[in-house]
Amino acid sequence: MDLSYFIFLSSGLFLGWSLGANDAANVFGTAVGTKMLRFKTAATIASICIILGAVFGGSGTSRTLVELGSVNELAGAFMVALSAALAVYWMVNNGTPVSTTQAIVGSIVGWNFYSNHHTDTTILAKIVSTWIICPVLSGIIAICIYLIIKQYIKHSQMHIIHQDLYTRLGLIAACAFGAYALGANNIANVMGVFVDAAPFHEVTIGYMKLSGTQILFFIGGLAISSGVFTYSQKIIKTIGNDVMSMSPIIAWIVVVAQSLVLFLFASESIKNFLEGYNIPSLPLVPVSSSQAVIGAVIGIGIAKGGRGIRWSLLSKVSLGWITTPIVSALICFIFLFVLENVFNLIVYH
Amino acid sequence: MFQIKISLFAQTKALENKIDMFHDKIIDVAMTFKKAIAVFLREQRSLEYKKLCKQIKNIEHDADNLRRDIENQLYSQNLIPDLRADVLELVENLDSIINRFDEVAYKFYIERPEFPEEYHSRMKELCEQVSDCAENMAIASRAFFRDFSTVRDYSQKVYFIESESDLTSGKMKEAIFDSEMPLANKLQLSGIISEVADIADIAEDCVDELLIFTVKRDI
Repeated sequence: MDLSYFIFLSSGLFLGWSLGANDAANVFGTAVGTKMLRFKTAATIASICIILGAVFGGSGTSRTLVELGSVNELAGAFMVALSAALAVYWMVNNGTPVSTTQAIVGSIVGWNFYSNHHTDTTILAKIVSTWIICPVLSGIIAICIYLIIKQYIKHSQMHIIHQDLYTRLGLIAACAFGAYALGANNIANVMGVFVDAAPFHEVTIGYMKLSGTQILFFIGGLAISSGVFTYSQKIIKTIGNDVMSMSPIIAWIVVVAQSLVLFLFASESIKNFLEGYNIPSLPLVPVSSSQAVIGAVIGIGIAKGGRGIRWSLLSKVSLGWITTPIVSALICFIFLFVLENVFNLIVYH
Repeated sequence: MFQIKISLFAQTKALENKIDMFHDKIIDVAMTFKKAIAVFLREQRSLEYKKLCKQIKNIEHDADNLRRDIENQLYSQNLIPDLRADVLELVENLDSIINRFDEVAYKFYIERPEFPEEYHSRMKELCEQVSDCAENMAIASRAFFRDFSTVRDYSQKVYFIESESDLTSGKMKEAIFDSEMPLANKLQLSGIISEVADIADIAEDCVDELLIFTVKRDI
C-alpha cells in the first residue's frame, strides 16, 4: 500500500477532525449544554454512531460530490480537503458557525476552476438549493414536533420528574440517531474526494463484508470521533444558547429535527422507497448540520411567537453561509497553484 | 440495560412520591393547625391542645426530612437541571409555611393568649382562611409538577383568600383596640393575630414565585 496515499489523506483526516469538533457539537451540544447528558456519555455514543453511519450509510452523498467534481489526482484531493479544513478552522476562529459541506463544495468548485474542469451547474444548483431546503425543512419539522409535544405535555399531566427521565432517554436516542445521520451524511465531505484513489481492498469480518470505500469511511469516522473527543466540548459551550435559550425538551426537538433532515438527505432506502411510488424525493447531498440546527431553533422560535430569537446573530450566521464556500474556493485555487508550481505535484489530469 | 431502565423508573417514582408526600404535609399541617386553634380557644392549653401541637411538630419534622431527601436526590441524580433551582426554592418556600404553622401553634402554647369569647368566631374564621390559603398553595404547587396549566387557577384562589384574611385580621385588631381590655393584652392579641395572618402572606409570596416558575416550565 502506497504510503503517500496516507500523507495526502491527512488533509481529509484534518477536515474530519474539524467536522467532529464543529458539527458533532450540533448533534449533542444542546443535550450537554442543558446538562441533561454528561459530555463523555454523549461523546462516546456519538462517536460509535458516527462511525456506523459513515461506514454503512455514507455512500449516497459521496456520489453527489463526485458528480460535482471528480478530483482525479491525489495531490488535488489533498488540497481540496485541506482548503475546506482551513476555511472551517479560520471561520470557527472568527466565531462564525460554519458548514463543512459548504467548505468542501467551495473547494471542489475551486479545483474545477483551477483544472478547467466543467462544473455541472445542475448538480451545483441541486447542492446549493439544499442549503435553503435544509434549514427550512428542519424548521418545519421542529415546529411540528414542538406543537405535538406541547399538546402532549399539556394533556398527559406527566410529573416533571418523569418528564425529565423521558427527555433524558429521548436525548440519548436522538443523539445516537443524529450522530448516525451525521456520519452517513457528512462522511462524503471528509472522504468523498479520496474515494477514487482509495487503495483498500474488500475485507470480510465474520458475516460482514466491508468494501474499500467503507474502510476509507471507517478511517474518516475515526477522524471525526477524534474531533468529537478533543475539541467539541469547547464549541458545545456556545451552541444552542447563542441563538435562543433552550430547555431540555427544546434541545431534544432540535436534535430530532436536525437528525431527521440529515437522515432524509442521506438515506438511499428512503429515496428509493419514495421514487418507487413516484413521490418526489430529496437529493442525496451532504447538508450542513449547523444549518439544520439553526433552522430548527428558528422554527421553534417562530412557533413560540418569534420571541427570544436573536436576529442579529442570525444575520452573522447567514453571512458565514455565503462567505464559507467563497473563502474555501479561493484558498483551494491559490494553494493548488502553489502545490503545482512550487512543489511540482500533479493536482489534476 | 433493562435493569438500568427499571431502576431509573423506580428511583423516579420514589422521588415523585416524596414530592407528593411533601405536599400532603402542608395540607395535614393546615388542617391540624385549624383544629388546634379551635381546641385552644375552647380549652386553652389542654392536653388535647398539647397533643395537637405535638402532631404539628411531627408533621414539621417529617416535612423537613422529605425536603432534605428531595433536595439531595435532585442534586445527586442531576435531575431537572433547567428547573432544579426553581424547584428547590419552591420546596424551601413550602417548608417555610409549614414551619410558620408550627411556630404559631407553639406561640399559642407558650404565651397562652386570652381571647374574649366575642372574638372566637373571627379567630376561627382567620385560621380557616390561612389554612385554606396554605392548602390552595399546596394544590397550586402540586399542579406545577403535574398539570401546570391549572397553577393559575389555584393561585388566584390564594390571592383572594389572602386578601380576605387581611380584612378579617384588620377587623379583629380594630375591635380589640376599641375594647376596654388592658393595653398589654391588646398588644399580645394583636401580635398573635399578625402572626396567624402572616401565614397567608407567606403563601401569597410563594404563589408569586410559583407563577414565575410556571412561565419558565412551559416549553
